[in-house]
Amino acid sequence: MTVAVLRLAGVTKTFRAPRGGGDVVALSGVDLDVREGEFLTVVGPSGCGKSTMLSLVAGFAQPTAGEVLFQGQPVLEPGPERGVMFQDYALFPWRTVMGNIEFGPYALGVGKAERRGRARELIQLVGLEGFEDRYPHELSGGMRQRCALARMLANNPTMWLMDEPLAAVDLQTRIILQDELLRLWGDGGSAKRSTVLFVTHGIDEAVLLADRVVVMARRPGRIKAIVDVNLPRPRAAQRSSPALAELVGRVWDLIRDEAVRAIAEETN
Amino acid sequence: MSPALRIGLPLGALVVILIAWETAVRATGTAGLVPSPVNVARAGVALIADGTATRALAGSLQRVLIGFCVAAVIGVPIGLAIGTAPTLDRIFRPVLDAMRSVAPIAWIPMAILWLGVRGDAALFVVAYAAVFPFILNASDAARRVDGSLLAAARSLGAGRALTFGAVITPSALPFLFTGARIAMGFAWGSIIAAELAIGIKVTGQSRAVAGLGQLMVETLYVRRDVDALVFYMLMIGAVSFLIDFGMRRAQIRLMPWTLR
Amino acid sequence: MSSALRRVATAAQPMIGIAALIAAWQAASVIAANPTLAPPLGAIARQIAAMASTDLLNDVVASLVHLLLGYGCGAILGLVLALLAARSEWFAAILDPYVEFLRPISAIAWIPIAILLFGVGRGVPVFLIFYASLFPILVSTLDGVRSVDRGLINAGRALGASRRLVVTNIILPAALPSILSGARLSLGVAWVAMVAGELVGADAGLGWRIMWYQEFFSMDGVMATIVVIGAVGWLLDALLRALQRRLLAWSPTTGARG
Repeated sequence: MTVAVLRLAGVTKTFRAPRGGGDVVALSGVDLDVREGEFLTVVGPSGCGKSTMLSLVAGFAQPTAGEVLFQGQPVLEPGPERGVMFQDYALFPWRTVMGNIEFGPYALGVGKAERRGRARELIQLVGLEGFEDRYPHELSGGMRQRCALARMLANNPTMWLMDEPLAAVDLQTRIILQDELLRLWGDGGSAKRSTVLFVTHGIDEAVLLADRVVVMARRPGRIKAIVDVNLPRPRAAQRSSPALAELVGRVWDLIRDEAVRAIAEETN
Repeated sequence: MSPALRIGLPLGALVVILIAWETAVRATGTAGLVPSPVNVARAGVALIADGTATRALAGSLQRVLIGFCVAAVIGVPIGLAIGTAPTLDRIFRPVLDAMRSVAPIAWIPMAILWLGVRGDAALFVVAYAAVFPFILNASDAARRVDGSLLAAARSLGAGRALTFGAVITPSALPFLFTGARIAMGFAWGSIIAAELAIGIKVTGQSRAVAGLGQLMVETLYVRRDVDALVFYMLMIGAVSFLIDFGMRRAQIRLMPWTLR
Repeated sequence: MSSALRRVATAAQPMIGIAALIAAWQAASVIAANPTLAPPLGAIARQIAAMASTDLLNDVVASLVHLLLGYGCGAILGLVLALLAARSEWFAAILDPYVEFLRPISAIAWIPIAILLFGVGRGVPVFLIFYASLFPILVSTLDGVRSVDRGLINAGRALGASRRLVVTNIILPAALPSILSGARLSLGVAWVAMVAGELVGADAGLGWRIMWYQEFFSMDGVMATIVVIGAVGWLLDALLRALQRRLLAWSPTTGARG
């Protein structure tokens, strides 16, 4: 359990500002070790670079300085062992539910019969039976999310990278999807689990799901604190535990000042 | 890419093409039979200096403007009516589609018959070409007025007149303007076509009042001046470009809220 | 009104418009009382029937051959140029100002040059159709390719798609709505350019037939040909519309379901 499957060492990322005005430092000197099988959530005010961090791990962009190492190798491009679930799902609108889910295996050259079979299993797992032939625009928000989740899982990634995946649905749906996500991950079970890097702005959600919560600060984006969550699993039973509420309070204390300042700047 | 490169690259390509063209014409000794850049420029200077080109251009532009206005007066009300009443839309949409499928220039023989060769026939073709963009965009404009904006205006106490002036007009104007821009392009394109067709009909018979189109026919068949012909082409291109550019600028200026 | 009756009335509405148009023409021809100025419906219908048994098929085929040659070349070149410009910033920088200058020039304005270059014949309409169809498809393809959602490309790459797979399975389908609407726009202007080109610079086709009838002062023939031009043009557009619906069933705006 002590092997770092993912290591960020001194990671800095700067962007050129769109209209002159110098560079924007999105991330500055981030050091982070993620253990195998760990559920890590990342919270912070908007603009703290949490999504940037995720896209560096996914391989969509390269750090300006420092290193991102996955299983000891520098991350240079996206790879099927690191599955991504996007905030707006990024489902292919011209592919059906089935077509979206089997895209990953198709891209990797898996034969038709096999990828169909795998997609069917996943469709059943996320509860989308009967909707295989629907296009994304014909699905509800929650169904799109399940589809995106199944698509991410189709390549059997050992690492799940999730960028605010539950941000766009209503509260009831979100609670249900949190429970399902935990179940799919193998919460409380003994099987070998995938490593999860889960970006969110919901503090309750971050604490409920995580083994550790990474709290980030902004200007420049950096890690402010890492909070251990030593609550028993499965977590679905912990929703109303006082220990959870106490941890949520602690995390909130850590980011309150930052969040207030962020809001003040946005309204100016 | 730097701005200098953005301008320099196409300009460089242009210079290379022009030099190659001029050299080719000189090397083959075909000047006069084949247009060459230097001769085109020379012809242009002469035609502008003696007023031939500018007079013809003014004639064409005048007819474009009249046809454009006629098309606007007919097209906008029809479009708004169709856009607000779905029944009217269902009744007249097939008529419009059918009429739109007829190339405006195909009406030339009928238009000459109805209105004569002296320019009114060309006017008919121009108006016919320009009326459809007006109708289609006006109906779009009427249809796309945001229902929640209307509701908001009503709940804030706006009456019919205020709603029309403060909500419907500003949200419809961009579409109308887009329609006007397309209509203007169509009008300019079809005036040349109409004048060409009429010119070909009447060349050698009478000196029917000329626009650029007639002048081009004469240049092609009577004077056989290829350099002047290319110059007229460039002039048509420049006017097309200026009309389009000018109307885009005007839209940005007058309706900044339509910027993406 | 009962709902069945209302449904019949709704279905009849498109017919009402066309019927009104036809009636208006007939009224005009009665008032004008001059078969040359406004040929009556009967004469036009007889003329169409007569054409159908003689030259109509030849004329339509000649026009469609012009269209196929010009539109085919224009659409393919437009697509290729757009894809090249999307790939190479340099190529785009060279291409862009020329497109911006040439695009607003109506194809029809090229008629004298085309006659000069090709002489009266097949060359003029084919060139005009080519020129007219090139730009709409070029511009909308480029637009479509450039505005492909970055997130979809990232999603594909994260799922292991190769560069080629990203182009064929993500960029092209994402740009397809723009490409198809460009193709429809192209066909519309190409049709007009075809008629114009045939009218003044060809020796076959529907546009040429108009001038032929005019030589004989047969206005029935002119009107009949106009009707045929409208009908065939409408049919071609309907064909592309059907193709659009077929290929874009997944799109929320054009999808038939949902």
